Amino acid sequence: MTSPALEVRNLFKSYDEGQIEALRGVDLSIAAGEYVAITGPSGSGKSTLLHMLGGLDSPTTGEVRFRNVSLGSAIDLDTYRSRNVGFIFQAFHLMPTLRAIENVQVPMLGLKPCSFDRAARARELLKEMGLENRMEQYPNQLSAGERQRVAIARALANNPDILLADEPTGNLDSVNSGKIMEILIGIQQKRGMTLIVVTHEDEIAHAAARQVRIRDGKVEA
Amino acid sequence: MSSFQSLKEIDKPFPTLPHRWTRSIEAGLSWHPALSRSKTVRTHSDFMTAQLSFIGFVRKNLWRRRLRTLLTLCGIGMAIGAFVGLVGFSNAFEQSWLRLYTSSGTDIAIIQQTFLNTSLPESATAKVTALPTVAQATPMIYNVMDLTPEVNALVYGWKADSYEFESLQLLSGRPFHDGQPEVMLGELLSGSLHKKTGDTLEIQGSPFKVVAIYHGGSALETGAVIMPLDQLQQLSSLQGKVSTIHVRLRPAPAGEAPDEYLKRAQAQIEAALPGLRAVPAAERAGNNQFVRLAHASAWGTSSIALLIGILGIANTMAMSVFERTREIGILRALGWKRGQIMILIQLEACVLGVGGGFLGIAVGWGALQLLAAMPQTAGIVSATFPLPLVAEAFGISILAGLIAGAIPAWRGAQLSPVEALRHD
Repeated sequence: MTSPALEVRNLFKSYDEGQIEALRGVDLSIAAGEYVAITGPSGSGKSTLLHMLGGLDSPTTGEVRFRNVSLGSAIDLDTYRSRNVGFIFQAFHLMPTLRAIENVQVPMLGLKPCSFDRAARARELLKEMGLENRMEQYPNQLSAGERQRVAIARALANNPDILLADEPTGNLDSVNSGKIMEILIGIQQKRGMTLIVVTHEDEIAHAAARQVRIRDGKVEA
Repeated sequence: MSSFQSLKEIDKPFPTLPHRWTRSIEAGLSWHPALSRSKTVRTHSDFMTAQLSFIGFVRKNLWRRRLRTLLTLCGIGMAIGAFVGLVGFSNAFEQSWLRLYTSSGTDIAIIQQTFLNTSLPESATAKVTALPTVAQATPMIYNVMDLTPEVNALVYGWKADSYEFESLQLLSGRPFHDGQPEVMLGELLSGSLHKKTGDTLEIQGSPFKVVAIYHGGSALETGAVIMPLDQLQQLSSLQGKVSTIHVRLRPAPAGEAPDEYLKRAQAQIEAALPGLRAVPAAERAGNNQFVRLAHASAWGTSSIALLIGILGIANTMAMSVFERTREIGILRALGWKRGQIMILIQLEACVLGVGGGFLGIAVGWGALQLLAAMPQTAGIVSATFPLPLVAEAFGISILAGLIAGAIPAWRGAQLSPVEALRHD
């Protein structure tokens, strides 16, 4: 039996010296290549769970395992994030001083020593996103939908195994939302990536192979 | 959208210069098929400018806040400029002292063992001359005097038969006679005082006849006054006393190394004159009270200036890290390690340091040229700009950047990615 891509065991996360419990004993297993939507009301712990899965933060107690190896102890979190994970944020979070093609190269600095290879990879990814003629633009010269597509290209820069998207359509209109989800699902199917999306939107949640509903820091049965 | 975020929206970056030039050239040449750049070439040039390097990222971050970067560069530039100017001045001063000895062939200078005021009996000269290793010995006094309210100069008191005259080239007139109120002026000083052979120069209320204008082997001579030793002893109330005795040694015997011979001669002189020191000329040039004071003042003053410059860079980097907290969070989320964040911030600080170094070296060079041209200081400092000083200035500017960037870099690297992403 193949080990799951990601596994969460009895995960607790609290802040302010235990005063705020964001996650309270979450157990979850996600197979490689699966598309999972994490839903729940505001403040339920969805984003916190996503951060744990992405190695952005460490649990208070419990464990997150990637391919059966414990994050933080057996794998360094920075290395895990750079090689295995691609993040997509609601607010895009592009570097304002860098052009689109340069933004896509940022994750590769330090991993790909040759600047020619970095630029070639960035160009290829932006073409895939339909942004061939927008590569030289700065983020403030792009529409919201274009910015999110640049962010997706950036997330794919190091060919990750897992794509984590935190409300990727939160700042987009319905037309662009549809396009973005089409792109994400297309990537997930074509590349066999594990796609985990945190979302409020029912339409996006229903398109996923599996929904994980979080309420008050726990996974609802 | 917060007011801070709206300000950031206004700060629109410029396209990079080479890329804009490339497009202009293409537009200008496009009318002629033979001269217009092919699609292949155009793609290649665009591709080159699309590559992002670590250094390119650093440059763009600094360019983003142009005014702040420029002000920081000016701050560290002034500090490096002060260092180059002051230390360059004191180094030139030391070199001039060295040339003073080498041009006259002086091997040893005999002094008293005090820091500021060295005066020894003139009668010691005869004892020194009698020593077997000594070829010639000549007593002298040197002092700094105000010749006019605007001009002060070094004044030497020599014996008329001193071997030091061999290093001078008389441009007009004749050497002075002992016991006479006569002076010889260096050509630089004669220009500043507008005096020529035959004129009278008043020094501390006493009139002296200018009997010669000379060119010296060192700037310290060319900008000086030389008068009979007895005259300067009278002016300085140092009858029977001298500042130092300069010694020329006989050639070293065959088979004896020059260093060993010099040490033997030193020991001989010190044994003959208890309480006095015989110092090799090279050591004396770097170690006399004027030079030591000049070095101490230069390093002391420029250290304070450098500290202020370092604080300027540190403030800029601390502000930059604070403003880019969320960006640092993004970089960490994209997989950048703490070490990479530290290197990024430290590189930015070093670029500021080195940029300030370039500016400071230019400012310091200008200051030295100005000092060499001014009558008050032309006799002491020359306009040469040694490469070791430039290298020292660059080294200090890089070090300044590293020191200034250390704490902001460390703090930036310690930021939690999740908390940094939440930052406004």
